[in-house]
Amino acid sequence: MTARLLPKKDLPGFIAALAKKQEVWAPVRIQSQEAARFSRIDRPEDICLDYLNTKLPVKELFFPQREVMFTFNPGERSSAQASAQVRERVVLGVRPCDAAALELFDKVFVDESKTASPLAESKTAGPLADPYYKERRDKTTLIGLACNAPGQACFCTATDGGPHSTRGLDLLLIDLGDRFLARPVTAKGEALAKGLARAKDKDISLADELAEEARATMDFAIELKQLQKSLDKAFDHEVWHRLSLPCVNCGVCTYVCPACHCFDVTDEEYKDSGARIRTWDSCQFSLFTRHASGHNPRPDGMSRMRNRTLHKFCYFPKTQDKVLCVGCGRCITECPAGIDLRETLETLRDTLS
Amino acid sequence: MANPYQPIEAQILKTIDETPTIRTFVLKPEQDVPFLAGQFVELTVPGHGEAPFTPSSSHFERETIEVTIMKVGRATTALFGLKAGDSVGIRGPYGQRYPLESFEGKDIYLVGGGVGLAPLRSLFLSLVHEIDKYRRVFLRYGARTPEEIVYKYLIPQWEKLKKVDIDLSVDVGDKSWVRKVGVVTCLMDDIPCDETSSIAVVCGPPVMMKFVTFKLVDAGFKPENIYLSMETNMSCGLGQCGHCRLGPYFTCKDGPVLTWEQIKDIPEPFV
Repeated sequence: MTARLLPKKDLPGFIAALAKKQEVWAPVRIQSQEAARFSRIDRPEDICLDYLNTKLPVKELFFPQREVMFTFNPGERSSAQASAQVRERVVLGVRPCDAAALELFDKVFVDESKTASPLAESKTAGPLADPYYKERRDKTTLIGLACNAPGQACFCTATDGGPHSTRGLDLLLIDLGDRFLARPVTAKGEALAKGLARAKDKDISLADELAEEARATMDFAIELKQLQKSLDKAFDHEVWHRLSLPCVNCGVCTYVCPACHCFDVTDEEYKDSGARIRTWDSCQFSLFTRHASGHNPRPDGMSRMRNRTLHKFCYFPKTQDKVLCVGCGRCITECPAGIDLRETLETLRDTLS
Repeated sequence: MANPYQPIEAQILKTIDETPTIRTFVLKPEQDVPFLAGQFVELTVPGHGEAPFTPSSSHFERETIEVTIMKVGRATTALFGLKAGDSVGIRGPYGQRYPLESFEGKDIYLVGGGVGLAPLRSLFLSLVHEIDKYRRVFLRYGARTPEEIVYKYLIPQWEKLKKVDIDLSVDVGDKSWVRKVGVVTCLMDDIPCDETSSIAVVCGPPVMMKFVTFKLVDAGFKPENIYLSMETNMSCGLGQCGHCRLGPYFTCKDGPVLTWEQIKDIPEPFV
């Protein structure tokens, strides 16, 4: 596909043109928190493109922290289905790590063809794709923003990604100073960039140089296929006790993780209204696995910390061929106990090999 | 696009008290819920949430679905507050069925503990419906006390069925109890079928599942012929919400019935 150029001075016009046909979402600076968050854009000047990464990953636009699945009237039998209630939209300024995580979410929420079970020939009736996620995903075009200056906690190059990776994106913008190189990935992305001037060879080679420079700043590397094999045999290893001692099971790593997809479904009933609600949940909480009988298969912090690590780096790759981590580094910067996932993985590699 | 989370309505036709804490609900869904033995459904009480249950009726019975429920948590307590004529929500079926075609011509050895007989009853009745296809069906069932035995009124009828062999035990007997006393494995000292080709199916509390499985393996049952109903905390039913993870499996999607061959390498599968 043809790479194109978007001069920065033309960005407001480009966004205004997009906004005529659909909603535009992009990171906006939250002054009180010195952080950026994806928000609906009314004025192009609100967009903040000089952020390292948003506090919460872009997953919240597809899988909100809390959403109504359907409503019911107390005492009545029928329930009304809520739709995802999204309009066609462009999300601009998505970091490559967050976009790669949506590719993983597609495996969880949409592609139900893969199952670990050899009994799987028997079919379950009805659709199994998540209608709320799928509607939002289908109605969204993703414009990425390449990272020329990855942060200290970033390690996407170790997880099948990269600072200029196009995985999961429709179009990637690369900052070349006074202009962006626009690199289409899908037909949807190509259509958005159609009106822009073609990039020259020197623009493309400059983008390639920037990608190399960005990569060169990221030195964490680990052989994840090998680690997956070691982890498969390490369930009872004492290393988990050592690794989990600092962990307070607060769950923040799961909330800020672009690839964590676990949720809970609860009913909320008030005097004159009721709703079934889906909220993010975390495998770090003791209630997550507790049976109604009180029996709990993962009763302590160690088993929960181990479960999260194994899910991401052993179980998920076993069935889906990808680790459930995109190296965004949010769990590292947000952990109150100072746990660095990179160090955890290195310790596991060194101890188990 | 149809929503797999949306329950349909099912009317409660009748309830049967099995024990002081276990009740069978006979449900009539507004549309067919085409489950096959081994699969489960989610029942909803609006305002109180939903919970997963494996039906206890034969999958050849299409007009109604029976579900036997122990009153133990929020959703089941709400279910116990309902009576005949009331409605619940139902969605499903989910998970994998028993591969009954590979059971044909074989002895099938069912072992249940406590309310774990409820999901086994669905399989038992479905097998009995086509009993000529199978060699024999054995049922070994243990409860804590005679009072806590479910389907007390049905077991005498089942014992009369051809090619069916039933034995019961209780942990603690009473004056009227003339059968064996002890945990369910006390019924397994002399397994009357060919262990190398027979099928075993187990459902009960985790500790019971563990010891029954070890006993079956010791007796010579092949790991791929031991079917275990691994009931973890399931929520969505679609392999998405993450709660029911068991090693590389989501029990809601890949199970809830898994073979010992599938889970024997998972450390502590019965924890």
